[in-house]
Amino acid sequence: MSSSSPPEQPDIDVTELEIDVAELEEAELLGAAPRVERALGDVRGRKGGGWVTLAWGLPGFVWLGFYLVAPLVFIVLVSFWTRTDTGFVRHWTLSNYGVLLHPFNLDNSYWKNMETSFVTSVIAVAACLVFGFPVAYFLAFKVQKLQNQIALFIIALAPFWTSFLTRSVAWAYPLMGREGALNQFLLKLHIVSQPVSAFGFSQLSVRLAMIQLYILFMVTPLFFLLGQVDRHALEAARDLGGNWWRTFREVILPQTMPGIVIGSIFIFVLTMGEYGTVTVIGQGAVSSVGTYIQQLVLGIQYPQGAAAAVFLVIALLAGVFVITRFANLREEL
Amino acid sequence: MAPDAVGSTEGAAPAAPSEHSGSGLDLISLTKDFPGGTIAVDDVNLHVDHGEYVVLLGPSGCGKTTTLRMIGGHEFPTGGDILLDGHSLVGLPPHKRPTTTVFQHFALFPHRSVLDNVAFGLKMEKVQKEERRKRAMEALDMVGLTELSQRKPRALSGGQQQRVALARVLVTKPKALLLDEPLGDLDRLLQLRMRVELRNLQRQLGLMFIHVTHNQEEALSMADRIVVMNEARIQQIADPLTIATKPATELVARFMGDNNIIKGKVVENTGGRLVVEDEHGVRASVQAPGDTRAPGSQALVSVRAAAARIDDDGSPGGLNTAACEVVFVEFLGDLVKLHLTSGGERLLVKVPGDHYPSLRGREGETIRIRWEEEDVQLLAS
Repeated sequence: MSSSSPPEQPDIDVTELEIDVAELEEAELLGAAPRVERALGDVRGRKGGGWVTLAWGLPGFVWLGFYLVAPLVFIVLVSFWTRTDTGFVRHWTLSNYGVLLHPFNLDNSYWKNMETSFVTSVIAVAACLVFGFPVAYFLAFKVQKLQNQIALFIIALAPFWTSFLTRSVAWAYPLMGREGALNQFLLKLHIVSQPVSAFGFSQLSVRLAMIQLYILFMVTPLFFLLGQVDRHALEAARDLGGNWWRTFREVILPQTMPGIVIGSIFIFVLTMGEYGTVTVIGQGAVSSVGTYIQQLVLGIQYPQGAAAAVFLVIALLAGVFVITRFANLREEL
Repeated sequence: MAPDAVGSTEGAAPAAPSEHSGSGLDLISLTKDFPGGTIAVDDVNLHVDHGEYVVLLGPSGCGKTTTLRMIGGHEFPTGGDILLDGHSLVGLPPHKRPTTTVFQHFALFPHRSVLDNVAFGLKMEKVQKEERRKRAMEALDMVGLTELSQRKPRALSGGQQQRVALARVLVTKPKALLLDEPLGDLDRLLQLRMRVELRNLQRQLGLMFIHVTHNQEEALSMADRIVVMNEARIQQIADPLTIATKPATELVARFMGDNNIIKGKVVENTGGRLVVEDEHGVRASVQAPGDTRAPGSQALVSVRAAAARIDDDGSPGGLNTAACEVVFVEFLGDLVKLHLTSGGERLLVKVPGDHYPSLRGREGETIRIRWEEEDVQLLAS
């Protein structure tokens, strides 16, 4: 077919940097319009943009530097200093790490807490995905009007209108407690004969609370990505022989992977270091790596706490790295 | 297929009951009501043979796309039936129908390579990976895109995306290909080229193509038969020449454009030859065998803009002529469009471009136009 026709419209690789603008403009006339438009935008935008870009970026860099980079550097430094009764002195030592890594200490409460927190995070990520995906799918595909989609999405965001503490307290006593609504309900239905104390102040209630608290970090990116999935492409998939499941598996899911990855990073990082929910819902009966570090800090064991925090940061970075392996964010977003 | 003009109140003639059991596609009294009382498709009857290129043509909202979507299984009819080779498709979901659709805006899978896009249908059929690859490459070869097989769709031009969309449906070997405004997203030069490519491809494959468009020129240039729709109903089914020269109804004549419509009363009926006169005294005669309407009754005729010519030599007026004021002389290179008005009625005459020197600057003058009786077409109103 193409062998008989004149040469195809010029083939422009947008990623190529050395593009001749004149050649592109000529190509534009020949009808390769949309892609040339993009390539031209790239080339033209690159001219003299350096200082302006820097100016826009500066506040962000200052902010990040002051509130993120500097504290992290301090934590790493403090973790190598020596503890005193009132704080720490600048005597370099590895003992803070030695205590945490000592062979007899490997089964101590720090690593047990790390493991518990990790399990909690994995459960939270998985549960938020399993329960959050249908919500996002419903909003994006089953609600027809954009106004309704936005209205329902804002309602779904409602938990974030109340303060974290209000919600957590409501969870701990009136809902999940021994005399709480959930137990009353199960008793009324004769599903249980005794109030279940495991609901309150337990690992289970902490994990349930976290899922409820963080599920919107999964729903939000999924909702926006699902909203961008081309509806005609779904019809095309159906048309080409895909049933609902295969269409979902082959067309929808791959396009929402970036959303799953972003949501998972948020939830993993936030739940892994959690101590607020653990403290309020667990009421001292539940601990996590977050509460462990908090205890060290409260006990003025700053260098020891800093070393524990450094391991937590390393664990978080490793987790995020693993999660990002599931999708090529740079290419797919 | 004999040119077959039908009025809006009649079903389409080619779909006689005897043909339902035969080969090809049959739409039988196909109807679609949307909730709220809108009738999108109203009693559509159509027969399409295998290997035929049929274009559904009409303004937006005329029901052509809904008709196509019902054939593909993306909308469900509220009445009537769709038969392919005598078997009803109505109960089948899209993935179980031997039809595939080329969607408007191409609808490629953005996250997959060109090759994986094309191989998608085969993957759904659980064809082995190697075989899938081989057949997908063959389909890409058919549309001349083998070198781009590893690209993502967004790294392709519109025309290339269009061809990927074609390869993607052809690879599944459908019995009927449904095309929803397939050229609508392309710029004009590419549209012209794709018309030829698409038509050649259809001839090579010998497949049934049903193509929806609102572009008259595209329909005329590509179709074996054109189905003109308006307001949920079929207005006329005929080959392009008949549609262009013998519009059956006022709606077809107006939609195809470049038709001068003369609305008036019958002043004479001599054995199937009518003379129609409008309120400004313009008179046209038309052959209408079997027409028995009496003088005084309403009649509507059309004359193509290209069939009328300028009669500048001062010969007397009369039947099949009109004295007009020139409103605008529009030069288009190959041809000149003369925009005229006769007693307030707008008329259009197209003459070859080399007449331009004698017409330039004559806005405001009165000229006489003339046409032949055989170029006058009686319209159903």
